[in-house]
Amino acid sequence: MINEEIKSALKKVVGKDRFFDDPEEILSFSYDAFILTSKPDVVIYPETTEEVSNIMKIADRENIPVTCRGSGTNISAASVPVKKGIALCFTKMNRVIEVNTRDRYVIVEPGLINGELQKVLAKEGFFYPPDPGSINVSTIGGNIAQNAGGPRCLKYGVTSDYVLAMEVVLASGKIVRVGSRNVKDVTGYKLSSLFCGSEGTLGIVTEATLRVVPIAESHRTILATYDDLEDTANTVADIIGSGILPAAMELMDKTVINVVADASGMSLPREAAGMLLIEIDGVEEAVEKEMNRIAEKARANGARDVTVAHTQKESDDLWAARRLAYGAFARLAPNCIVEDVTVPVSNVPKMIKATREIADRYNLHLGILAHAGDGNMHPLIAHDPKDKDELRRIEQAAKEIFETGVSLGGTLSGEHGIGLAKAEFLPLVMNQDTLDLMADIKKTLDPKGILNPGKFV
Amino acid sequence: MDVNDIDKCVKCGLCLTSCPVYYEVCREPVSPRGKVQLIAASKRQNLSISRNLENIFSQCLMCGTCTQNCPSGVRHDMLFMRMRSQIVHDFGRDWKKRVLYHFLSHEHQLKLAAGFAKFGRNTILEKLARDTKLGNIQIKNMPRVNKVPFRQQVPGVVEPAGKPRGTVLYFTGCATNYVYDDIGHAIVKVLTTMGYRVEIPGEQVCCGLPMFSQGGFETAKSNILKNTKLLDRPDDAAVIVDCATCGYALRNGYVDILEELHADPSAARRLSSKVKDISEFIWQHFDELEPFLDPEKPKVKVTYHAPCHLRNSQAVGTDLIEQLLEKIPGVDYIRAADTDSCCGGGGTFFYDHPGTSKKIVDKKIKNATGTGASLWVTGCPECRVNLSGNLKNPESLQVIHPVQLIEQSLKK
Ligand SMILES: Cc1cc2nc3c(=O)[nH]c(=O)nc-3n(C[C@H](O)[C@H](O)[C@H](O)COP(=O)(O)OP(=O)(O)OC[C@H]3O[C@@H](n4cnc5c(N)ncnc54)[C@H](O)[C@@H]3O)c2cc1C
Ligand code: SF4
Ligand code: SF4
Repeated sequence: MINEEIKSALKKVVGKDRFFDDPEEILSFSYDAFILTSKPDVVIYPETTEEVSNIMKIADRENIPVTCRGSGTNISAASVPVKKGIALCFTKMNRVIEVNTRDRYVIVEPGLINGELQKVLAKEGFFYPPDPGSINVSTIGGNIAQNAGGPRCLKYGVTSDYVLAMEVVLASGKIVRVGSRNVKDVTGYKLSSLFCGSEGTLGIVTEATLRVVPIAESHRTILATYDDLEDTANTVADIIGSGILPAAMELMDKTVINVVADASGMSLPREAAGMLLIEIDGVEEAVEKEMNRIAEKARANGARDVTVAHTQKESDDLWAARRLAYGAFARLAPNCIVEDVTVPVSNVPKMIKATREIADRYNLHLGILAHAGDGNMHPLIAHDPKDKDELRRIEQAAKEIFETGVSLGGTLSGEHGIGLAKAEFLPLVMNQDTLDLMADIKKTLDPKGILNPGKFV
Repeated sequence: MDVNDIDKCVKCGLCLTSCPVYYEVCREPVSPRGKVQLIAASKRQNLSISRNLENIFSQCLMCGTCTQNCPSGVRHDMLFMRMRSQIVHDFGRDWKKRVLYHFLSHEHQLKLAAGFAKFGRNTILEKLARDTKLGNIQIKNMPRVNKVPFRQQVPGVVEPAGKPRGTVLYFTGCATNYVYDDIGHAIVKVLTTMGYRVEIPGEQVCCGLPMFSQGGFETAKSNILKNTKLLDRPDDAAVIVDCATCGYALRNGYVDILEELHADPSAARRLSSKVKDISEFIWQHFDELEPFLDPEKPKVKVTYHAPCHLRNSQAVGTDLIEQLLEKIPGVDYIRAADTDSCCGGGGTFFYDHPGTSKKIVDKKIKNATGTGASLWVTGCPECRVNLSGNLKNPESLQVIHPVQLIEQSLKK
């Protein structure tokens, strides 16, 4: 509990218009896109680094938990304030501070929506590669804290590959700056990487300098459809294995194709057992050549149909439809869980086969979606949270999926993070000494344990 | 209330930034997801109805953009209306709203108001006006009220020149009847030119949407039943509406509300299939209009604002209207960057939350002005009031209904 005196001190930092403790506001910060919930005591919307620092000084002094939040779209309860305290929401701290395409960087505040940044950059002929499915709603701060990736990270890499520098407020309220505007920088530890994927447990990002990239001259969107899911998966391993590097390569099974078709109203090959949505970009000649090689490989692996989007709009619509998959899957049942196991791409066929087999054995309503080109699986499980038996089966199946992934040289999460959702499975991929190292880092940066407590460290 | 509707929300957040109110306010409780979760909590008895909750639910344009963007198929419109209805039930409503509400639910009072020289320049509305403003709109920028209501200016039936192709029923809506008679005359002219016999039933009443979107289901019911009875005529070619909001009501709202109130929706369902927005009707029968268009019409730059209740609630997409505009001689169409976003008027939103509303509308105005157009067409009188009311320089960018543009392009 936060007493009235502390409340008024906090209120003084941001003013009464950005401090809330009414039941409605608090309830709205009890959830994110995962199923677990817990309410904070107060909600604060900072707008400057100084405000954040002053809030942290009070929290540090009074030992109050602080959980950051962007748009609350993470799927691992990372932003749920399980130990109550302050929910620190960055949606109002959302300016673009500088766009510098000559030196290829932008400086932004953490609450900026990724998609808004893309709009600003597109005008200059540039883009920021990390493109989570939540691109139009999630914030840069949340993307950094989750080290978000997305379809085109196959070619371009994930968030941490694009963070050049950051301003971070520590648990004590101290303000530190890590990194610089230079792509090449080995001046000391690469501290920015430490905060990428830290899920708000090590420090609070109040400003980020991000690397941006020119938009490629040419693009193609290819759609390959199959009568057999295994053929679909084999194509992925074959294409990547042969040295072709598409910008993105997404796989959907029949169930996912159908929910996406329902939600988007697009005509997709509903009877197909598997489908690949592939994006290639680069200079026109190379794109043309790659496209032909991809089509060849797809056919050789049994694709019954390979088509190319004719217009930009058609291509945009296909990608927009793809982004609906997660939410759309929930049409099948009251809720949807999405897993995030990632394996080396050569093992994608095995992983998909095993996942299907596990789902059937536990009698689950599971669809397979994957950023297949980089081995990032997103099995979607539609379910009713009220059905306790089903939940238990899901838990067991998830455990088997993780174990299979790890046995295939994979890892627990490719991009969604650990949060609460997967905390108990960390020992599958890390030995005790490694877990201790993480705990030591946490203790150094946040000795009182007030930053997003109750999560994976 | 159907609990399952709420359970459909997986809290993915994909509806957040496309909500015009959330985009400005950036606070979760006012977001579509937040509102759905608040309803869920109040259903589960974890949250009681309060003034604060009322305020949150008033921060909504009822624009339907969230429903349009929700992959899980959550029906925000119905959920929000029910919630508003419950709030009305528990609290009554504040006097300011009651006045407007009253106005809209009683035709004769609107007629009375129409007697004044300007909408808003009467004693009751004067009180509403903060300083010289009604919400975000300067009173002086409010449209003039028709001297005589439109339906009294025209006969109940207008015949075309030759043998009629068919009969269309014209539901004028309150806005055309009391404020924008120019739209009404344009519709009659264009439809009769196309060869239709236009029948304008005199007993039609307000579509009811202003009431039911504020949660007044029962109040709306008698209007719904009256209009349905009047307009449900299987032999006519179509029921024409010129107001996106009335169209939404007649097409979808009536069936939903009657079902909600456990009344028989079958007549409303039949009516629903007959209702056509005027622009949509013209597009579908363009060959009947084309010979009468003046190919020599001088070029004028035109941009478009897509009313939410047209694109979200009636599936009359922007592409359809744009294709229509491109076919009208003399139209040099330029798309604004945010053609498809809400104008921020939202029924009573513009005076409940003038600050937020102003931010939303100013962005629209900036983008529309940026196209260099001199005409801004929009198929919704409510949007027209809000857009034209907020223009700093209404002479350089005139807001009109697409059908007026078409009428101006007819051969003389
Ligand atoms: C439909 C859908 C599709 C998705 N697709 C993808 C995908 O393709 N790839 C992917 O990687 N993820 C995906 N996600 C997950 C999610 O969108 C990402 O994790 C995203 O980065 C979260 O951003 P947010 O703004 O919503 O952050 P939140 O969910 O609000 O917070 C996420 C974490 O960041 C912390 N945080 C927020 N702001 C700060 C800050 N300023 N400083 C420090 N910590 C902070 C929070 O404490 C929390 O731990 C998807 C989610 C959904 C619902
Ligand atoms: S898009 Fe639909 S499912 Fe997702 S949070 Fe919004 S209302 Fe809920
Ligand atoms: S109806 Fe419009 S304003 Fe209301 S919550 Fe949905 S998107 Fe926002």
